[in-house]
Amino acid sequence: MLSEVRFDGVHKIFGAETAVEDLNLTVNAGEFLVLVGPSGCGKTTTLRMLAGLERPSYGRILIGDKLVNNVSPRFRDVAMVFQSYALYPHMNVYDNLAFGMRARGASKDLVAQRVKETADVLGLGKLLKRRPSELSGGQRQRVALGRALIRQPQVFLMDEPLSNLDAGLRVQMRAELSRLHQRFRVTTVYVTHDQVEAMTMGDRIAVMNNGRLQQVDAPETLYDNPANVFVAGFIGSPRMNFVPGRLASSDGRTSVAFLGITTPLGTGSRLTAGASDGEVTVGIRPEDLMWRPAAGPDCTLTLSADVDVVEPMGHEAYVTALCAGETVTSRFPPRSGVRPQERVDLALNPARLHLFDAQSGITILQRPPAAGAETLRSVGEARTNDSAGGRSERHGQPEARRVPSRTEEIS
Amino acid sequence: MSAVQARPLAGDKLIVVPYRKVSAAAMATNLVLILLGCFFLLPMLWMVFASIDSNPDWAIRIPSPTLANFADVLGRADALSSFRSSLILAGTTTVLTTLLALLSAYPLSRMHIPFKRPFMLVILFASGLPVSMLVVPVYQMYVYLGWLDSLYTTALFLAASSLPFAIWLMKNFIDAVPVELEHAAAIDGASTFRILREVVLPLTVPGTAVTAIYTFINAWGAFIIPFVLTYSPDNQPGPVEIYNFMGSHGLFKFGDLAVFSLLFSVPVIVLYLFMSRYFSGAFNFGGAVK
Amino acid sequence: MAVVGTLGPRLDRERFQWSSLLMLAPGLVLLVVLFLGPVLYAFYIGFTNLALVGSRSRDYSFTGLENVARMLGDYVFIKSSWLTILFVVGSAIVGQSVLGMLLAILLRNAVVPIRIVVGSIVIVAWVLPEITVALIWYAFSQAGGTLSILLGHGGTNFLVLVPMLIVSVANLWRNVAFSMLVFSAGLRNLPSEVLEAAEVEGASAWRRYRSVILPLLRPTIVTNLLLVTILNLSEFTLIYAMTQGGPGIETTTLPIYVYQEAFVFHQLGYGTAISLVLVLIGAFFSLLFVRASRRQV
Repeated sequence: MLSEVRFDGVHKIFGAETAVEDLNLTVNAGEFLVLVGPSGCGKTTTLRMLAGLERPSYGRILIGDKLVNNVSPRFRDVAMVFQSYALYPHMNVYDNLAFGMRARGASKDLVAQRVKETADVLGLGKLLKRRPSELSGGQRQRVALGRALIRQPQVFLMDEPLSNLDAGLRVQMRAELSRLHQRFRVTTVYVTHDQVEAMTMGDRIAVMNNGRLQQVDAPETLYDNPANVFVAGFIGSPRMNFVPGRLASSDGRTSVAFLGITTPLGTGSRLTAGASDGEVTVGIRPEDLMWRPAAGPDCTLTLSADVDVVEPMGHEAYVTALCAGETVTSRFPPRSGVRPQERVDLALNPARLHLFDAQSGITILQRPPAAGAETLRSVGEARTNDSAGGRSERHGQPEARRVPSRTEEIS
Repeated sequence: MSAVQARPLAGDKLIVVPYRKVSAAAMATNLVLILLGCFFLLPMLWMVFASIDSNPDWAIRIPSPTLANFADVLGRADALSSFRSSLILAGTTTVLTTLLALLSAYPLSRMHIPFKRPFMLVILFASGLPVSMLVVPVYQMYVYLGWLDSLYTTALFLAASSLPFAIWLMKNFIDAVPVELEHAAAIDGASTFRILREVVLPLTVPGTAVTAIYTFINAWGAFIIPFVLTYSPDNQPGPVEIYNFMGSHGLFKFGDLAVFSLLFSVPVIVLYLFMSRYFSGAFNFGGAVK
Repeated sequence: MAVVGTLGPRLDRERFQWSSLLMLAPGLVLLVVLFLGPVLYAFYIGFTNLALVGSRSRDYSFTGLENVARMLGDYVFIKSSWLTILFVVGSAIVGQSVLGMLLAILLRNAVVPIRIVVGSIVIVAWVLPEITVALIWYAFSQAGGTLSILLGHGGTNFLVLVPMLIVSVANLWRNVAFSMLVFSAGLRNLPSEVLEAAEVEGASAWRRYRSVILPLLRPTIVTNLLLVTILNLSEFTLIYAMTQGGPGIETTTLPIYVYQEAFVFHQLGYGTAISLVLVLIGAFFSLLFVRASRRQV
């Protein structure tokens, strides 16, 4: 039943616009793949091509082993949750759920049984007689989900399904979607522009920009080793700091100069083959740029900066400061007492630097994988080690890593 | 304004002054509207009063009530046959127009059709062509085809002349049904026919009703087409009959004329009330001419 | 993007679905046979000397611009064109639109019972069959009718004294609801923040309407003018039923002249030629308005 999905050199062109360009991507059977990127990056077009709502201009799309380029949505055996939910407004919840099964000629008994099961899973049991207009946003979202679940399709497609919910409900549904995926293990392609959703839900994340696939990797890998400046800037909040730097080698040791300081590259990091001395872009995540008094012993570098803005977030504070003519953001502990105009010392672990080619924006530094484990917890929840290559072990390993909590009682 | 208002008296004054101003303007507004309402009501009122007056005149007057006029009209064979003719004419036109408009509007709204835009513009332009232009050629055609003096062939032409606007109206209604619903149904595995029957049609019921009622009201009042295309007394619909009576001074009593036109007006008023709930959307032309 | 050229034929060219033709076919057939056909036929007949009866009813011929030449020398035609323009500009463009806008604005600000009652009366006037409107306005304007009594001239038949004015007002009375509904919908769709902003800035009601609401309603106004012009240009029933174009030719607008030439004087060819002029006037006004709507938004 589990099916793999493959995009093979897929392009989609609308008039003069290339929405998707040469997409090569495999979604593994049973995997939860998140397609993420800014609006207009081609992620929704990609999903619609997979659903059969758009046909690719060039290339091939395969579901399982079947070429589906010219297969109408009706025969693709995929289910989709729309951003607008697209519930049939003239049918009650029961009929909305039953529509797909009836269309496929299921018997009345089977339909009734599956509707009941699905409604139970989603807590919709008491709402079956209601019309969509009589439901809350969260309830509509569940019906849309149920309509997809009931069909037991080969592939789930979700187009920003949580974007119309308020913040609290979104967090709750995020956990619920993860829990459902663990339970049913249906291959899922999930489109979002929200990097937090991507990080917390995806087995792997595919980042798109301007119609091109930028990187596909497990969340940790994406975070620790972004392939280019775009991915580095898109994943992580607040955004990674980018400052100009210079790479110089002598006696087999390479050092980088930036923000008025010079440091040899950290141990364990390797420069890629394409790297050469000269202009580079240095990337520093705000959480790696710490307040000196709060920094650990491995933060061997110290930068002096003038505080510009302090944004207290409760559990921490974002401090924007001017350092050697560059504006940088750093994460401070909540009650540091630092004020604007004050001069502060910032600390940095040289092993945490990211380096990118100044022209192409492509990374030139391979960093050790384990280093990301700690920072990830602050983004979502802890994950077991995962790398791009380690995904095959996933199916047999029912994970306890996500925290499925169903606290919502639907009213 | 400071946040703390220490003396309530000052606060009262602040509220009262603009309130009076507004109420003066509102008085004027409502007064002008009442006058305008009288201007619209008076001519109609004559019809209502004259219909129950035993000895009506051209002027409005307090009627000396009687139902004799109603009895008169309902006893006239020509009056009843004109109702029958109008019903056949408007009914046939409405069924034909609505059905064809629905069938044509769906592909025009949803499917890929070459030259769709120019086609829609031609449709829009066609709905504005004066019927006077078509009367002569259609008369010639009907003479040639031997179609004159039949309510059904007359309805066929009425349907053709009301179809462009009906298609245009219907297409706007179908456009308003979110295409995502059809996508969802397609992904759910529904066939094109099932999507049409179970998703699109139920959601276009209000639009279809508006189109049908609009067509019916127009066909019910149509004058020049049946006036030119039918001639035998049995086939004269209401408007032509009323026109004939208006011309035959003395043969037809004022009161009877008032009753006839009153009875003839009631169905369309009822139909309009029925659809007015859905109708406001039809006037959202906005920048439709772009 | 440069790669695209080397990828071979596009796979997503729109495919024409035969089912769409199947659905379009019945409507198309009816339109082609009974609409497009007559339109094209009218363009032919308009340049012939076809007559309703007599030898010319069978043995007619193409006469080129003869009908046009005849129009230019036809006093009735010239008077009739003038009356048509008077009718459309006076009754429709100015009267119907201005009163429609006024009603829309007043009703918006009126108290609920008055809004409902007056709004309904105006709409009923519009829904009434045209022939009924013709009858009640005929009665209203007769000697001894309500109008003459209200004006204190009991013996005056206003339909004879000022026939064009009476049919114009009757037409306005009937059609104003259309403009009112269009403008009400337009007003409802205005972004309320803009109006509130104008109010907060202290603009007077008059100023708000003149400098904020009217410019925002511009597309609606242009659309209304276009539709109202086209609908009124071909107005026949109301005028014909009230006056048959009389007294004399005082209310013979072009649609009525077309009918009389064709079916009273039996000049089908000439009558049709006049109807083509009507189409030309309609096209001219449409272009004017479409251009006006494009100038700015």
